[in-house]
Amino acid sequence: MIQLRLKTECDRSLTPFVTRIADEEPQHEDDATLLSREAGILSYRTGHTDFRLRDISPVDISGDVLLIDPRRQIAHRLIRAASPHNTFLITEQCDQLCLMCSQPPKQRHEDMFGHFLAAARLAPPNALIGLSGGEPLLHKEGVFNFIDKAVAERDDLSFHILTNGQHFDDGDLPWLRRHRARLLWGVPIYSKDPAKHDEIVGKVGAFAQLSPNLALLGFAGAALELRTVVLAQNVSGLPALADFITRHLPFAATWAIMQMERIGYGRMNWDGCFFDSSTDFADLGLAIDLMRARRQGVTLYNFPLCTVPPAYRDLSAQSISDWKQKYLASCESCSLRAHCAGFFEWYREEDGFMEIQSQ
Amino acid sequence: MQIWPLRFRDLDDRRTVLADDSGAYFLADLDFVDRYSGDRLTASDEKFLREQGHAFERDGDLAHTGFLTRWSQRQHVSLGSAYVILIPTLRCDLKCSYCQVSRAPTAAKGFDWDDETLQNVLGFLNGLPVEQIQIEFQGGEPFLRLDLLEAVAAFARRRFRKVRFVVCTNLQTLNEDIRAFIRSDDVLISTSLDGPHQVHTRNRTADPLLTENFLQNLGEVIDLVGPERVSALPTIDMEQPPDPEALISSYEAFGLSSLYLRPINYQGFARKSHPAARTSSAWNDYYRSFVDVLIARNARTGRVIEEFYLAHCLRRILAPGADSHTDLRNPNIPTGANAVINFDGQIYPSDEARMLARIRQVDLAIGNVKDGLDHDKLALLAPAHINTLDPDCIHCPYQPFCGTDPIDDLSRHGRIDVPRQESWFCQRHLAVFDLAIDLIYSTNPAVEFTLSRWLGLETLPEALRPAAP
Repeated sequence: MIQLRLKTECDRSLTPFVTRIADEEPQHEDDATLLSREAGILSYRTGHTDFRLRDISPVDISGDVLLIDPRRQIAHRLIRAASPHNTFLITEQCDQLCLMCSQPPKQRHEDMFGHFLAAARLAPPNALIGLSGGEPLLHKEGVFNFIDKAVAERDDLSFHILTNGQHFDDGDLPWLRRHRARLLWGVPIYSKDPAKHDEIVGKVGAFAQLSPNLALLGFAGAALELRTVVLAQNVSGLPALADFITRHLPFAATWAIMQMERIGYGRMNWDGCFFDSSTDFADLGLAIDLMRARRQGVTLYNFPLCTVPPAYRDLSAQSISDWKQKYLASCESCSLRAHCAGFFEWYREEDGFMEIQSQ
Repeated sequence: MQIWPLRFRDLDDRRTVLADDSGAYFLADLDFVDRYSGDRLTASDEKFLREQGHAFERDGDLAHTGFLTRWSQRQHVSLGSAYVILIPTLRCDLKCSYCQVSRAPTAAKGFDWDDETLQNVLGFLNGLPVEQIQIEFQGGEPFLRLDLLEAVAAFARRRFRKVRFVVCTNLQTLNEDIRAFIRSDDVLISTSLDGPHQVHTRNRTADPLLTENFLQNLGEVIDLVGPERVSALPTIDMEQPPDPEALISSYEAFGLSSLYLRPINYQGFARKSHPAARTSSAWNDYYRSFVDVLIARNARTGRVIEEFYLAHCLRRILAPGADSHTDLRNPNIPTGANAVINFDGQIYPSDEARMLARIRQVDLAIGNVKDGLDHDKLALLAPAHINTLDPDCIHCPYQPFCGTDPIDDLSRHGRIDVPRQESWFCQRHLAVFDLAIDLIYSTNPAVEFTLSRWLGLETLPEALRPAAP
């Protein structure tokens, strides 16, 4: 696994600060240049202070943007320059309790917008930054302000925002329109049946709130990615959901159908929720065929290629973030491995897919 | 609840096809139509219409926004790509029975682009506001002027980000230079194969040896560039139409998996002496019987042959955006990016418009490569190229899938405002769309097999066959 946190040493009395590992000459006062390296310890100097990093090579972190927490002596890699998967965790609070949630909510919220803005300023050119949670739009004003300020300084940045779609109102329309070219909204929908959707997200009335808010995103011309995790609870409803999407959500740029991630509530509820699509792809196939017939985009996330019938494999994306992705022993000899999403780090063969076969 | 207006048409004596302005369709029985027109819809009728997106509760709700999106997608034809037909020469070394006006003898003078015209054509292409283009070389026989094709290709490969060439050739002659030209990945070959040997000879070559030549060349070209870069189409003489099985076999023999049936389109005086070419019912009957044979054959052999036009119409019914075929789309406003440039540098909105000028019926040139486009003429032609507001089409459930062809109306009737149902274009397309809807709703496994393969699907989802309660 790729490390997202690094051990660091610096003056413990400092307040947390953001810095970028300069690959050449520093271009910014927050850029850190390498002073010396010895016995697994890298010493850096910024325009303000010095710090040291342990157990990492300079090439692996070149261009990275770090948030250094002096009190805990930890450096968070907010932006890894070499990775397409960079996400700012806006909050861990959430107003839904989804059965398969990989990141169960917490009560406490720590406002990090100042650090995120500092990090966005230092991001590589044309970076796409994920904003996730929890539910980021529980802090809507903070998110909107952060994006306004970030793009005012860096109009090359774009953001992929994961939200449950519960917190928009008509007053957001001008803002959504103003930023529509740089924002991609990832919004989950689990069923066309409101009761089924509400049951899966653990919130009564969620669908009733989601519906007008999706209409608002459509009316704003926002780029919308609908996201549906396949579960034992909703798999038989996927063809009907596909019909619903093509008729009522034709403005969605794509529909991402996703396999479960066995962590958080996803681990707790795995036995009751995991749907083994490697042995039964019928409902998924019907749903995809309908999307194809109606020429609307569809993508498969987190599906190992060998679990997908060949006719649908071109839809599979390498969706699992590099830092939590793995392959199995049987993948060693597989000819499709280079194009395969692989598995989550916390996937277990004993209660996972039945049909995993080297291709 | 408000219901978006529904148009309807009887498919047969028990089924009516209904569709709204966005192209969302369903079948119903006559009782439903009575309830709809008499404002006596039941609760289950209303539930059906709501779920299918034919109704909404409030402005801006999800059903409303979804419908607006689908409607506007139907009105939008992407203009990012140009499709230009070039006629560098009108001379041809064949004299096909159905080609009366679009050729000149090989020895004739004054039927090729001169140097100045070539330069003007390149200048015209250069000025098109697109980065993608498909350039189709027609004739005459374009390979008689390979030098002009090479000059255009060299220029276009420099000028455009994405370019594709189609050479519409009779393939009577192949030589080293032609082989070198078509070896390039961006060159496609389109040719005519009218069916079995004697049909092809009767229609096109009038000489079995010439037919032999052609068949040999077709085989060689397919070996050279692969069947996916070669397309062929049969022109059907309705006075002596080929047996469908024999026609399909002649295509399959070359490994060709798609054919596009086209009726002979007689122009001017010739039309008067070929009465069969004027009646659409003969064509529609033949077309339907051909499709029946094709579908049964696909099921029998397991190899899938496509009739391009029907497959295309199916794609247009199922979704917006199937606009790659420039003869059937809506709106289809004539522009320079979708035009025909004749051997004399005149620009026409379509090949048929060029023919009308050639037989001196009416001059529909929309400019020439020397002086540019004639914007007054373009403005005059534009309104007739939209079916959305046509007084007849607005009552037709097929309007969102269909197009218009005022040039054909002009050619056959001398005017563009004939009642649609009396026009060849409308009669032909009503028949094609009736057939397509009938096939979509068929539960015959042979039909499902062919349709799913044509549409690139593994299954034919039930949701494609909505039916009112």
